[in-house]
Amino acid sequence: MFFQAYFAKMNTGGGLMQMKLIRKRRNGYALMFAASICLAVWLGATFMLEAVFVFGAISLIFLLLLVRQSRRLYDATLIWDNRILAVPSVLISTEGNLRQADTEETVVSTFGMIIGSRIYRWGLDGVHGVRLHAAQIDKERMYLAFGNADQTMRVELLHGMTQKQALLDATQKLLHETGVTADITGW
Amino acid sequence: MNRFKSFNVRRLSVAGFSFLFAYIMSFQFEGQVLYSLLDLRGTDADRYILAAIIAHFAGLFTSGLFVKSQAAAKSMMIGGMGLCLVATVPFFFPLPTLWMGGLIVSGYFSGCAVAAWGFFLRAFTPKNERIKSCADVLIYSNLLMIAVNVVAMNRSTFIGLSLSMLCLVIGAVFIWMLPLEQENEQNKTFKNKTHGGIKNPLILLCLFVFIITINSGLMYQVINPAFEHLTGLVSWYWAVPYIVALAIMRNLPMKAKRSRILYIGMAMIIGAFISFMLLGRNTSDYLTVDTLMLGACGIFDLFWWSILGEMLDYSDNPAQTFGIGLSANVFGVLCGGVLGMAVTSMGLPGAEVAVIALTVVCVTLVMLPPLNHQLVLLLKSHAYLAAYDNMSQSQQTDIVRQVKTLDPLTVREQEVLQLILSGKSNREIAGALFISENTVKTHARSIFSKYDVSSRAELISTLLKNQTVG
Repeated sequence: MFFQAYFAKMNTGGGLMQMKLIRKRRNGYALMFAASICLAVWLGATFMLEAVFVFGAISLIFLLLLVRQSRRLYDATLIWDNRILAVPSVLISTEGNLRQADTEETVVSTFGMIIGSRIYRWGLDGVHGVRLHAAQIDKERMYLAFGNADQTMRVELLHGMTQKQALLDATQKLLHETGVTADITGW
Repeated sequence: MNRFKSFNVRRLSVAGFSFLFAYIMSFQFEGQVLYSLLDLRGTDADRYILAAIIAHFAGLFTSGLFVKSQAAAKSMMIGGMGLCLVATVPFFFPLPTLWMGGLIVSGYFSGCAVAAWGFFLRAFTPKNERIKSCADVLIYSNLLMIAVNVVAMNRSTFIGLSLSMLCLVIGAVFIWMLPLEQENEQNKTFKNKTHGGIKNPLILLCLFVFIITINSGLMYQVINPAFEHLTGLVSWYWAVPYIVALAIMRNLPMKAKRSRILYIGMAMIIGAFISFMLLGRNTSDYLTVDTLMLGACGIFDLFWWSILGEMLDYSDNPAQTFGIGLSANVFGVLCGGVLGMAVTSMGLPGAEVAVIALTVVCVTLVMLPPLNHQLVLLLKSHAYLAAYDNMSQSQQTDIVRQVKTLDPLTVREQEVLQLILSGKSNREIAGALFISENTVKTHARSIFSKYDVSSRAELISTLLKNQTVG
């Protein structure tokens, strides 16, 4: 799989917005789970067994969604807390062809990346999990390669840095946190 | 001279606790004196016994909340024993309402006093010798209990009650004579090194104690009534195999692998229940069943008491750790008692009772290897960390470099690792590096993965095991 993310315009707080959205969704699932469990218990008390099975199954689905959303929130919080670079907004495209315009913030962090509503994790599952392999930075763009033994992904984003010192700070932080030395070209 | 002084202080502390424990075992905690008194007045015993056990559990569990120093521990022990004394007086008179209140008060405060002794066990018994102090208190208190039981059952219940109270008075005097000493530097270092390290082993130990003690509860309710007709023999022989097992375990060489003896204990329990099933109810049958059962109890009790004693080094509050560990024992007795009562009230045949007991033994068997592993790692980690602390910066760096990783550590991971090896908790590391606790946990997991280990204790053990531990 290969895709690119392009810088579009400056704005801030997209990552936080994303986390708020995930939290809201998680709370919604928690509420639905609690409601369906209560209903199942109430129906059980009135001996409506078929309905109990239906609401039991619905509860189970909401529980799974709740667990999934809680994990997403945990990952997103971890990524946000350890951000290295916040690219205010992105334009995502597949290789060569523009696929999707997105005006949300991209956060690059020690433990992954948040692009719009998507979360890409690395460095969270130990030495055999998905890890950041390489980083390359030129005057305009930053290329990140990450993956595990089976699959590798490559992200390309416009970093928006004009000062060399800012670039050096970012690469230094990247090395400190992830152990990946960024390859700087064209500066 | 100093060694002589500390030896005497240790003996005082052991004697004080032994007398307190003798009172608890002979009177309050399903003791023969209490049973005889309740029998004498024709009162329903179950209600009283249950109230005393629950109060004792609460006392053990909550003592750590208000006993936070050696001075407070001393006050709690003396004050608690005084209150127990006052609460026992109504038992000389036919006042059942006061009995219930007295049992609840004395049960609670005796629990607090027992837990508070954790401070003195840590302060006055050197590390690695706590197994001996624990064995001593269990042996002396059981000998005293046998003496009180024999008097109560063969002479007069009230003389037995008076002797129980005398135990309290003597115990309080011994505790009053104990000096209040500054905690030694070693203990202070230990405490700071093991944040977050004691919780899991303590939970595991409590679970182990709880499960193993269910057997005792079952035994009280199922085996004891079967040999009720042998009153004279039961009054003195009951705890003899227990004391002998404790004495053997106490005098084993330090190098002996005590964990292996646990398996002998398991075999003895299994043997006891099978004997109970197959044998009759005469004197020789009682001797066989009781020897196997109480011998095994002695082995298990000393095993977990000594581990609890060693754990006190890793605790900020020994009264809390000691109390929680012992409360698991009381809770196990309580649950075992309820299970036993349920079994006897259902009138299950002996074979089915034995199957229930054997199931408990099997569960315990499964728990033994991970428990041992965790505890050994914890103790090793402590010794390694103490040695690591005394090394120079360059030696510390060399140690970390010597062990090969699956992948090089990042600079951030190296910082986290150094702080782990300094004995810091996740929270402290987060504070020192200005990162969140979850971030520290994630870095720690990554470090474990790179060293191919599964826990902090295993990481410390892997990194430092080849070093000379001073």
